Amino acid sequence: MDVIRTVDLRKTYRDVVAVEGLDLTVREGELFALLGVNGAGKTTTIKMLTCLTKPTAGDAFVDGHSVVKEPEKVKPLIDVSMQETAVARHLTVAENIAFYAALNGQSKAEIEKTAARLYAAFELDKVKNKRADKLSGGWQRKLSIALALITEPRVLFLDEPTLGLDVIARRELWRTIRDLSGRMTIVLTTHYMEEAEALSDRIGIMKDGKLLFVGTKEELYASTGKQNVEDAFIFTVSGGDLDA
Amino acid sequence: MRDSIKRMLTLARRNLKEILRDPLNLCFMIGLPLLMEILFYSIFHKLTAQFEIRYLAPGIAVFAQSFTTLFAGLLIALDRGTSFLTRLYVSRARPYEFIFGYTLALLPVTLLQSVLFFVVGGLLDASFWSVGMLLGILFCLVVSFLFIGFGILLGSLCSEKSIGGAASAIIAGQSVLSGMWFPVEGLSGGMLTVMKVLPFKNATMLVQNAVSGYTDVWADMGLPLVIVLCYTVVTFVAAIAVFRHKMKCV
Repeated sequence: MDVIRTVDLRKTYRDVVAVEGLDLTVREGELFALLGVNGAGKTTTIKMLTCLTKPTAGDAFVDGHSVVKEPEKVKPLIDVSMQETAVARHLTVAENIAFYAALNGQSKAEIEKTAARLYAAFELDKVKNKRADKLSGGWQRKLSIALALITEPRVLFLDEPTLGLDVIARRELWRTIRDLSGRMTIVLTTHYMEEAEALSDRIGIMKDGKLLFVGTKEELYASTGKQNVEDAFIFTVSGGDLDA
Repeated sequence: MRDSIKRMLTLARRNLKEILRDPLNLCFMIGLPLLMEILFYSIFHKLTAQFEIRYLAPGIAVFAQSFTTLFAGLLIALDRGTSFLTRLYVSRARPYEFIFGYTLALLPVTLLQSVLFFVVGGLLDASFWSVGMLLGILFCLVVSFLFIGFGILLGSLCSEKSIGGAASAIIAGQSVLSGMWFPVEGLSGGMLTVMKVLPFKNATMLVQNAVSGYTDVWADMGLPLVIVLCYTVVTFVAAIAVFRHKMKCV
């Protein structure tokens, strides 16, 4: 079953076309990686799918609800962790969780349950009384993703979740993301090809706002004649000009 | 409606914690003005009437509130810069709830400021204690909406790097154009007109007259209050419009 469907989705900023005629489907429970170089339109696509920005034309549907006409029905189904760490700096980990849960209408008892669930899933109990601005980059990013899970969304959008993290923190976060996959639909954007290779069920490649490829890794390898995502991505985006 | 109020209070609690847990905020909003009140009174009150506590304490109380522009603006600019607000936009909260969340968070701070500077004023000069202090505190709260509004507007417009400069213009305006440091009678007509038209002198005059008494209710209290309220309404309308616009352009 398709949980996300975009229909001729388009976004322009004055003369710049950020996303052009995007037709894409994401299936329930899959981890879909959206790849592209800077300015390819990945983040703009995520912003449209999360009702943060309105499409210039076309529409997108999350679980059948239009992001243009029914954002109030889409919002309870989704959550997002943007590429910058989005936490309340001077609040502790526990306070961050309680704040975001309360903002989403949870009662005190529900907040306690949510906190316990997230402490267990992300090992956050180790740092629950630490202020967010005192955490390492890896822990901050973990907290940021944990906050996005408070509402138990059906679709989780992760925009460059491991950007700027060291290799150990990145691998730890991969494990966390892998644990989540299957329990919810995840749409992930990344610049790290090995990340897409390790985590994704299907891959979409964007360039200049257009979707050049969508399919599984195996389909990508078959269509490009390459053996890994990085080579296949470079081949797809450059049209073979940058082949090693 | 009930859910909306809950969300506003949740946002306000978070914002208040963010403000109070930054020592720099407390230094500028409480520490610096308190030091100025004690020092200026101790050094100058016998030299010029301008620094008698009945003028100085209300002037300092309003001046201290101008720092809320800086820190409200800085909080919003940082929230925007780190994508924290973007995350919240995906939640069910509405634009006006964010605005009230920032405003409600700062009201206890501005109340604390005015009570503190008035109490210290009373301790420095016992003749300062009067029923008018309560009216002064009430007007301080009214005036605080103006500076909070400026903060929300500038925080929505500026980046975390430029907010300092923009908010400094408001702080400097309150300092220089309020007439609290020097007698305004000697100024040229044009300068005096500018001061009368802008909200800074009116805000200071309103609180000073509430505390130390007035002769003409309209000229001393009514008109300054109307001018301050007009600026407050315009600032808040602009702040809400800009905030909503920025929400759509993340």
